[in-house]
Amino acid sequence: MLSVKGLKATVDDKEILKGLDLEVGAGEVHAIMGPNGSGKSTLAHVLSGREGYTVTAGSVTFEGRDLLELDPEERACLGLFLAFQYPVELPGVNNTYFLKAALNAKRRYHGEEELDAVSFLRLMKEKLKVLHLDDSLLKRPVNVGFSGGEKKRNEIFQMALLEPKLAILDETDSGLDIDALRVVADGVNSLRSPERSMLVVTHYQRLLDYIEPDYVHVLARGRIIRSGGKELALELEQKGYGWILDEAAA
Amino acid sequence: MSAQALESDRATNAVGGVPEAGPFDAWLPASAPATGEPGWLTAARTAATERVRTQGVPTGKSEGWRYTGLRALLEQGFTPVDEPLDAMLREDLDDLLVPGLDAHRVVVVNGSFAPHLSDLDDLPKGLRIGGLRATLAEDPDALADDLARIAGDGAHVFASLNTAGMGDGVVLLADRGALVEKPVELLHLSVGMDEPKVAQPRHVIRLGDGARVTLIERWASLGDALYCNNAVLEIGLGRDAVLAHRRVQLESPSAFHLSGVYLRQGAGSRYDGINVGLGGRWARTDLVVRFAGEHAECDLSGLYLAGDKQLIDYHLDVQHGLPRCTSRENFKGIVHGKGKAVFDGLVYVAKDAQQTDAAMSNRNLLLSQGAEVDTKPRLEIYADDVKCSHGTTVGQIEPEMLFYLRSRGIPEGLARRMLCLGFAGEIINALGNEALAGYVSEAVGGRLQAAPL
Ligand SMILES: Nc1ncnc2c1ncn2[C@@H]1O[C@H](COP(=O)(O)OP(=O)(O)OP(=O)(O)O)[C@@H](O)[C@H]1O
Ligand SMILES: [Mg+2]
Repeated sequence: MLSVKGLKATVDDKEILKGLDLEVGAGEVHAIMGPNGSGKSTLAHVLSGREGYTVTAGSVTFEGRDLLELDPEERACLGLFLAFQYPVELPGVNNTYFLKAALNAKRRYHGEEELDAVSFLRLMKEKLKVLHLDDSLLKRPVNVGFSGGEKKRNEIFQMALLEPKLAILDETDSGLDIDALRVVADGVNSLRSPERSMLVVTHYQRLLDYIEPDYVHVLARGRIIRSGGKELALELEQKGYGWILDEAAA
Repeated sequence: MSAQALESDRATNAVGGVPEAGPFDAWLPASAPATGEPGWLTAARTAATERVRTQGVPTGKSEGWRYTGLRALLEQGFTPVDEPLDAMLREDLDDLLVPGLDAHRVVVVNGSFAPHLSDLDDLPKGLRIGGLRATLAEDPDALADDLARIAGDGAHVFASLNTAGMGDGVVLLADRGALVEKPVELLHLSVGMDEPKVAQPRHVIRLGDGARVTLIERWASLGDALYCNNAVLEIGLGRDAVLAHRRVQLESPSAFHLSGVYLRQGAGSRYDGINVGLGGRWARTDLVVRFAGEHAECDLSGLYLAGDKQLIDYHLDVQHGLPRCTSRENFKGIVHGKGKAVFDGLVYVAKDAQQTDAAMSNRNLLLSQGAEVDTKPRLEIYADDVKCSHGTTVGQIEPEMLFYLRSRGIPEGLARRMLCLGFAGEIINALGNEALAGYVSEAVGGRLQAAPL
């Protein structure tokens, strides 16, 4: 599904990703952990096509297509979704209108008819229930005045609506209380399927109790320096990153 | 100078060709004032004519005209509309109406009240609407306290020109305590003529004590005609009266638009004005507010969109001369292409105007390199016990916001439009009338869609 080879990327002439390799197969859940500032969000942004990053080497293919030459909107329409670490507030842009525009943009891209108001509302109701989201949030401007937890749930709500093939969740668990964490994890789990892959960036093993990964990777200093099964996350929880960094440096 | 003297001056001017012909001489009426015009009005007209002659044309150095040049306006060689246009039919209005708007409608065509196009049959008790000429003919002194009094002498040359060349207009009188539920729509329709014409309508809106009215003032045209409107509205609000005033300027892309709203607010009155400026090639609006009693509230907000070959200028002049009044100024602008916008907001708080509460804000979104905005908020405060603030911003679309939308599959053009409409939404939603908000929102969306963002 996703194949990242030797990816190097710079921001303001500063190299952040320094030769990163990652293979994600269909239906797999990969967790990415790593110290602050190691480049996890940078990877997520480069994959989703944010401006301001320069790819200096390597390649990224998504379902056989060169992802790096596509606009962000085209990547999204092809099935890539990024749940932001810091969801953006859009003053004056109504949440429902936004969701409808996103869904219909994707449908248009695939030559499907736009959803009419009634079918759209029905679909939203259905997805809202899964995430225990209050529908008053839909009448408000996107993320404006939402609490931290509401913003994160709104991200997963968008994901549920857009049904991506590859979802990148950038620290979706941070800022969530224990109940909200469970709700979000349930939401994510309900979307797991043999065709849908996920890249879950997190600092905490706790999330991985709910969303069980097939693989765990450690990203440090711009590279994946260790990969393993879900037991690696437990080991990191106990020992921290020091030992892996030492081994990698050795 | 007396009216007599002026008339003889004019005669010499025409016959002998006195060399120093003023740039606006052509705008002044060629004929003597309509017979039967009350003496006080003739005197005001004469004084205004005199001011036009002595004031001359504002230049780049004149206060209030630094960023708004008059060359293009003068080059057109406008002459006053000379005869009323009666050929318009009701059907001609169909495409210009706001879908779903239920209102008492009064229509002005090329500056003159057009009764046959207006819908004034079922006006509620206490509300009178008619033409300026007709009102004066019926009762010469009906407007003696308001007409040419609220706008006063100090105003700039275009207000003087309007007074000097005053043709027709609309008079709206709401009696004391009249509560008018349905909005009143004042539609200005401009139709291009063979020669470039200037229309100078003059309106008087007077609300008696405690009266409540919603006035939707619109400017529209057939096609992309070249013409000029130079309008003056004089608004007098009695004690505790409430006027909601919506102004939607959608003139033709070739048009020149000047309008001055002069407001006199009685004690405890409330004026809630929203200005939407989208049309015209060159548009200048002056909003001038004076308080005549304490505890009055004035809300001026606006939304303007200026694109290629377009100048939109709003000048606000709010004087707090009395204590305990409140004013709010909140204007937002979007400028694209090589468009240009000017915002100048003066709030003056006199020494005795204690406990004034004033807040001004002007925020602008520039969508292109070539777009330009000149914003100048001015707070002049001479009282010491006041609450006053102001803020202006000029910025671009936030890249994070744009990326967020695009990362959801929304194409860049649409994403930009959504953000612009979001920015404008605060003002559009405040219009408070669903039909009108829908109409404006559509017009703004259409403009943004056509604009190369
Ligand atoms: N615009 C920028 N200019 C300069 N440096 C940047 C910029 N954006 C990111 N960086 C740097 O890139 C590095 C990686 O940042 P990134 O956000 O990818 O880290 P992260 O692994 O997601 O960290 P965290 O766990 O704290 O979220 C950091 O050192 C950061 O300061
Ligand atoms: Mg991060």
